[in-house]
Amino acid sequence: MNRYRFWKWSRRLVLLSWLLPPLATAASLFADENLQIHGFLSQGYTHTSANNWFGDSSNGSWDFRELGLNASYRLTPQLQISGQLLSLTAGEMQDGSLSLDYGLLDYHFANFDNGSIGLRIGRVKTPIGLYNETRDVAFTRPTNFLPQSIYFDKVRNLELSNDGFEIYGDLLTDWGDLLLQGGMGKPVTDENVEYAYLGNDWQGELSADLFFFGRVIYELDGGRIRLSATIADGDLDFEPGPTDPFSNGTTGIQLRVLSFQYNAESWHFTTEYMQEDVISRDLGALQPDGDNTAEGYYLQLVHDLFSDWEIIARYDVSYLNRDDRDGTKQEAGPFGIPAHNMFAKDWTLGLRWDITPAFMVRGEYHWVDGTAWLSSRENNLFQTERHWQMFSLLASYRF
Amino acid sequence: MEKRQDRTAAIPDWVSPRCLPMVLILLLAFSLLFFPSRQAFALQLITHPDADITEISRNTARAVFSMRRQVWPDGAAIRVFVFPDKHKLHKAFAKQLLGIFPHQLRRAWDRKVFSGTGQAPDTVQSEAEMIEMIKKTPGAVGYISEDNRDESVQILEME
Repeated sequence: MNRYRFWKWSRRLVLLSWLLPPLATAASLFADENLQIHGFLSQGYTHTSANNWFGDSSNGSWDFRELGLNASYRLTPQLQISGQLLSLTAGEMQDGSLSLDYGLLDYHFANFDNGSIGLRIGRVKTPIGLYNETRDVAFTRPTNFLPQSIYFDKVRNLELSNDGFEIYGDLLTDWGDLLLQGGMGKPVTDENVEYAYLGNDWQGELSADLFFFGRVIYELDGGRIRLSATIADGDLDFEPGPTDPFSNGTTGIQLRVLSFQYNAESWHFTTEYMQEDVISRDLGALQPDGDNTAEGYYLQLVHDLFSDWEIIARYDVSYLNRDDRDGTKQEAGPFGIPAHNMFAKDWTLGLRWDITPAFMVRGEYHWVDGTAWLSSRENNLFQTERHWQMFSLLASYRF
Repeated sequence: MEKRQDRTAAIPDWVSPRCLPMVLILLLAFSLLFFPSRQAFALQLITHPDADITEISRNTARAVFSMRRQVWPDGAAIRVFVFPDKHKLHKAFAKQLLGIFPHQLRRAWDRKVFSGTGQAPDTVQSEAEMIEMIKKTPGAVGYISEDNRDESVQILEME
């Protein structure tokens, strides 16, 4: 983005930040305690030593913006309707167009002394790991870019939300709380999913079939210790166009995530481990039938300084194929894709400052070995550089 | 680009990413030694005067204040009132009565509000406003210091 566009956008953001809080207080003007309006806006700046991430970042990119506005209304004590509009700009991957992030009815139908059960129907956020449901809200994530081993941005829509239903329940015991979610739905896919699994945006269409989702969280002492296990399983169907080099086939996906978090008063340790099976069937000679397992994990430590500052250190590792972690097989294969596109090891150091409870800035530096999480939409995979660094600065406002 | 790489190369060895695992382990070990000091306030849960419930377990109170439990046993909507995150009464309330840290509550609310699965509690600025709101809102629950005990609201005992 050139300087002119940047100033134009920052003026719009400033304008929005003046307009939105009155809008939120307008909700109280309706004098309806059942209505709540919330939102967020974030603007990021990304500079990389090489390679492109969220725009033309090797020259410094302002193409990272998140705008969200949501409303919720309690129709009855047990029934809530809610929805969120989202505009995300992320380089070549997301163009800022408006989408419905979620829109659902939540019916909390059974309440016991030590638990409750409910049902959500509509476009529901997909429960994955510890951060996925609010991944676009800068305030709720530990860094400007979530660990890409698990919260991939290059195929974010596969994880984002799904059209379907979810049953949830919680069980409160003296040894901790169990929070359960299970459901089915169609992930809201986009062309990024095609880039990630088939290497390009083809004439034909890659669409998601019904996926199954399940997650269990165990919380001790209201979240001092959080343990979680996630599974997501389903198929992507490819319907080829007349000139596409693939035939009518499927890509089966199963995602498994294990998470652990320890929260002390001013220290937070988090680690998550992920495996993703990618099973290709009947797609033709370019993508022969086969099973491949991607793998990733990260370790993260956050420390609250004083009351408004936070420092974070993280080591994040991604492998696109656990049987070819160093990528040599891929490089020796028919396409000769450079080995370093098959992994990424990322050291991150970051500093966050909550200037007010509603306004936050965060800077972080990444040292990365490998390019597994770069998108082929933004990079020619044959020209990527294996060792690169990234600086990211982000300002975020919420209400 | 060349220049930037040179600069990285000039950083001394002990800050290189290779040393970070050790730094992380040391920081974590240090965190286990860290015990916060507590400033004690005598606090009291309060409800709307017409509430049926006069006793609540700590588990249920946590579920209520993390906005996970939405209705009282009689089916009425729960309305949660809190002080701002940094208010000394809020910090003491979270730690002493619920046994959790204020940031855990904030995270729980954010997860609800930005995923469409719940709502945030209402925030009041003073104990007078707290009593006022609890008194006039059916289903309301909040907390005050015991010094400010007020006959117009009902006490909710924690088991």
